[in-house]
Amino acid sequence: MSTDRTTLSFHVNGDPQAVAIPIHRTLLEVLRDELALTGAKKGCNTGTCGACNVLVDDVMIRSCLRLAVSVAECKVTTVEGLARNGRPSVVQQAFLDAGAIQCGFCMTGMIVSASALLAQNPAPTRDEIRIAISGNLCRCSGYVKVVDAIELAASRFRQGNAAEAAAMEIRI
Amino acid sequence: MLYSRPASLDAALAVLGADAGARCLAGGATLVAGMNAGLPKPSQVVSLQDIPGLRGMIVEADGAVRIAAMTVHAAVAAESRLAGGLAVVREAALQIAHPAIRNMGTLGGSLADADPNADYPCALLAAGADIELAGPRGRRICPVDAFFLGRFTTALGAGEIIVGVKLPPSALEETSTYLKFSRVDGDYATVSVAVRVGWRDGACTAIRIALGSCGGTPIRVPSAERALVGTKLDVAALRIAAGAYVAACDPPSDFRGTADYRRMIIPGLLERAVRNALNADRGIRS
Amino acid sequence: MNLVNVNKVDGAVGLTMSRLEAWEKANGAAIFTEDMVLAGMLHGALALSKVAHARILGYEISAALALPGVKAVLTGDDFEPRYMGLVVKDETVLAKSKVRYIGEPVAAVAAVDAETARAAARLIEVIYEELPAVFTIEQAVAAHAPVLHEDFDSYFKIYDASTRRTPNELALSTLRRGDIVQGFAESDVILDQVYETSAQYHAYLEPAAALASVDGRGKVTVWSSTQSVFRTQANVHESLGIPMAKIRAVSPRVGGGFGGKSEAMVQPIAVALAMKTGRPVRIALSREEDMSAMRSRHPVRTRIRTGARRDGTFVARAIETWFDGGAYADDTAAVMNFALFFGTGPYRFDHVDLVGHAVYTNKLRAGAFRGFGNPQVTFASECQIDDLAAELGIDPVDLRLKNLVHAGDRWIGGQVVATSGLEECIEKVATASRWRDRAAKPVEAPDGKRRGLGIALTAHISGFLSTSAIVRLAEDGSVSLNTGAVDLGQGSDTALAQMCAAGLGLTVDAVNVVAADTDASPYNSGTNASRVTYMVGRAIGQATDVVREKMFKLAADMLECNLADLELRPGGFIGVEGTDHSVSFAQIAAKSIWFADGGGPVIGTGSVMHNEPLDPKHTLLAGFLSFDNVGALTFGAQVVDVEIDETTGKVDVVEAWCAHDVGRAINPGAVEGQIQGGFVQGLGYALTEEMVWDGGRLTNPSFKHYKIPSSLDVPYAIHAMIVEVADPLHPFGAKGIGEPPLIGAAAAIPNAIAAAAGARVRKLPVTPERMLRALRFGADGVDV
Repeated sequence: MSTDRTTLSFHVNGDPQAVAIPIHRTLLEVLRDELALTGAKKGCNTGTCGACNVLVDDVMIRSCLRLAVSVAECKVTTVEGLARNGRPSVVQQAFLDAGAIQCGFCMTGMIVSASALLAQNPAPTRDEIRIAISGNLCRCSGYVKVVDAIELAASRFRQGNAAEAAAMEIRI
Repeated sequence: MLYSRPASLDAALAVLGADAGARCLAGGATLVAGMNAGLPKPSQVVSLQDIPGLRGMIVEADGAVRIAAMTVHAAVAAESRLAGGLAVVREAALQIAHPAIRNMGTLGGSLADADPNADYPCALLAAGADIELAGPRGRRICPVDAFFLGRFTTALGAGEIIVGVKLPPSALEETSTYLKFSRVDGDYATVSVAVRVGWRDGACTAIRIALGSCGGTPIRVPSAERALVGTKLDVAALRIAAGAYVAACDPPSDFRGTADYRRMIIPGLLERAVRNALNADRGIRS
Repeated sequence: MNLVNVNKVDGAVGLTMSRLEAWEKANGAAIFTEDMVLAGMLHGALALSKVAHARILGYEISAALALPGVKAVLTGDDFEPRYMGLVVKDETVLAKSKVRYIGEPVAAVAAVDAETARAAARLIEVIYEELPAVFTIEQAVAAHAPVLHEDFDSYFKIYDASTRRTPNELALSTLRRGDIVQGFAESDVILDQVYETSAQYHAYLEPAAALASVDGRGKVTVWSSTQSVFRTQANVHESLGIPMAKIRAVSPRVGGGFGGKSEAMVQPIAVALAMKTGRPVRIALSREEDMSAMRSRHPVRTRIRTGARRDGTFVARAIETWFDGGAYADDTAAVMNFALFFGTGPYRFDHVDLVGHAVYTNKLRAGAFRGFGNPQVTFASECQIDDLAAELGIDPVDLRLKNLVHAGDRWIGGQVVATSGLEECIEKVATASRWRDRAAKPVEAPDGKRRGLGIALTAHISGFLSTSAIVRLAEDGSVSLNTGAVDLGQGSDTALAQMCAAGLGLTVDAVNVVAADTDASPYNSGTNASRVTYMVGRAIGQATDVVREKMFKLAADMLECNLADLELRPGGFIGVEGTDHSVSFAQIAAKSIWFADGGGPVIGTGSVMHNEPLDPKHTLLAGFLSFDNVGALTFGAQVVDVEIDETTGKVDVVEAWCAHDVGRAINPGAVEGQIQGGFVQGLGYALTEEMVWDGGRLTNPSFKHYKIPSSLDVPYAIHAMIVEVADPLHPFGAKGIGEPPLIGAAAAIPNAIAAAAGARVRKLPVTPERMLRALRFGADGVDV
């Protein structure tokens, strides 16, 4: 039983974090306002646009619809956690190379969705890719180069050697 | 606002029983969205995430299937064991909103919300499910036909929560499908039709048809269903059935279309859904 | 896909590369306005009007002020009456003495956190004397209609508004050429139809936001999600009376604009709160607030008539169009004028009579939106031309080819069409879509579906207003490029860097693109009107010419040779032709800065205003904005393949071919992205997007109810085809691409629908319901 403030302990991008917050804060607000992880965006705050997507225990969810207190002891991965030592993940590099990024506001959520897809399904069909990003609204790209980017990432991922692939885990 | 994570069902029921303003937190899609929109915060949020036995699906010896209330849509959508007469439930889960919501939203949460435009209520009505409830006076079963009472209104009593759904076994001759028509992908249905049908020796042996997004709750017209038993489910027979559904429903006029429009499209969609169900084992859809 | 490593690029124009800032956008480091935090920052929130039309009698703000954490509450009473607006100055920073639409900001709060600010805003009470309101054009122009702007005649305007006939009209414009009566008399066939479009919401993913801060000398800095730092500065100056020397407007990354952020809304409010509290104040609108309070595309009703001879020659075109501008003028008169300017489409008509009305109503203001009035009128024109083709028994492509404008022809207003790749565009899309084959043998649709192809041509401009550029040689031989252009995500920073690099033989990473800053940048009217690549490119060309000239003079001195013997070499060198004697840009910079005979720092500037004056002998106009400074005419063609479900009326776009003459593609991949994105925004406009009002209340200010296309609503293949016919005024021949793809989609899709369905819906969006009614009842102009 807690009062209306609590201390939330959880892991974000591999780092343990503890923040004192009001109970009703969403995970999106905590990431942005308490931890300065502003990659996840507040595009609609109704769970419709996808710009707030993050991974909780490797599952892709809407951080704007997740009460922060409910991720206590969980492992949260945001877009900031995908690169390693400043090097783009396979998905990030593919988005750059395919020219998928325009204004970029939807892209952090888009890249999280793509990463979650490839972690689960490294050889998706074009159909499966479109379904995976169907909850990420983009107003700039028309989605064409986004799908191209994810296909490119998938083919590169499959071509990479087994050890590298294993090391990629969810970050893809 | 208070927050608790009871470790057992009894503890959760005790909290809910003691505080009329407390709300369950399942996936959060509905509750947190409401808070974000400025709806009054509940006095207390009771998370169900730690309660054992509230996740997962079990197939019983007789083929009946029990899905626990906190099972997320994505898990149901991936369940190949939901086949034949139960495929309708899996197909509904697959078409709810979009992937991130399917990872968060739960069966129990969706049923308790009873949104007239939601997918599960319509699918479960066609499947003929029983809703399992637990409350201060113990457990009880509520057949789905008696569960949805009106817009956002269910037969849940004070302090009661949904703990699971039990689906009757699928007979060998049964197939089923969930047909959702929406303006754009991921939207709520403009009209949805769920069908569970038995077919043997060239005729219908049993059928349940549920119509969704056409009133405060999804509806069946049992007399129309009975009239279809023994027929070849041909166009003429289905047209008569559809007429009964059109007459029985009370569709809204909203962003997705007028009431008149919904009445116009119900017959064609009903026919299409039955055809899809019959063709389901042949992988043919229209 | 051309995958290019930015660091190895030479001759940068014409190469596909991802955005310069793409990596920071991919890893979450990109800073948008709501990501910014300043020490001591407060959060702002708005109280929005709940009534559509009322006098404000007073405010009750004590409860709001008393809430712990609230630092300021402002209402219209805190401001002098000062008006801002690009075309008509009719808006104040907050509603003053009157409100005119539900959603209009009436008060603003600054508090220690966003939640407190919003809670305080909810506690503010406004005492209204409600007035009767008008919500439709018919109501607004009816006799004795309540008047929204009683002081309209006293507002500053940049056009002649004396032609207006009723008090709620804000503009009445006419364009005439030839003799329309004679034209219709000479026509064998005349079609007379009405087309309607709905209000579309920009739906940029980043809601409007601003952060304002005041320094010790009283100078304001405002960061905002904007399409023009100079318009932001001007709006703050005009609405608050602060001298421009005391206003610095900048922008961090912007998450899309599409016209909705060309003019200000939250910025002056944020500045006012910052000045009142003495602390930085950040306001970020919720999605619902953004949809309710910013601006929309104009809903428009157009009566269009086309007269043609039996052989298909176009003779006469008449339009009377009504633009519903909402409660404030914003860009409305200009938008309506643009529509008239494209009222003939890219076709020759000897007799033209185009009349446009713009009207105030008590709804959200309508303003600039990708296409700027052109989508509405092109929808009407291209659809009527297809109906004409059917009536005459001529193929729709052939009918268009027969009447096309060509280079050298004169547009309305007398402007000469400098270049046109339109025929090539038509040929490309007709071939790729197998238009002729399918006309002869239509594709068979599966049971219960219908299939059809439709074509539309687009004519638009790249240009508008004025712009400038400064290129400065840095000591290490790289250059700084400063144009004042805001990159909304459409890739202008990258394209501008490519053009600057190419002008000096440098690689793109040797160009430092300076962020737009009213303190440091030369004037740029804004990122809109498909203008940046074209207009700013021209200014960059001028500036790099000057820099080259100065560097050559210094090099000739340093190499002790004649100017004529020198050549520019890639990588930042100037050398003597036929030898390996050269000097680097760095050496030239050093000479210029350190040596007595160096002449001083090497800087080049460019300054451009597109100037093709209207010819009043060619065209009569009245009540019009001046179009002396429009821009280069830009053409395109699109073919769309649709499938219609006969049971539900739902339309799916199966495939699309979009060919656009861009003059020269500076960055082909980026051009493709703009074509694809513009097409999909047009697809939404044509099929799914509609802002719906119930009286004055916007009923669907949410992505849950206002649906933009997702990845599953778009065709697998949107073929973006680039045509290049070099523009003579641009250093690389380039023109713009931002708007045309949306204009094309909004017309090609309805034409494909008509071909597939054998019935036409004359209202956008063609929702499943409208389509089904047309299929069932053959109804035209379905009134649903």
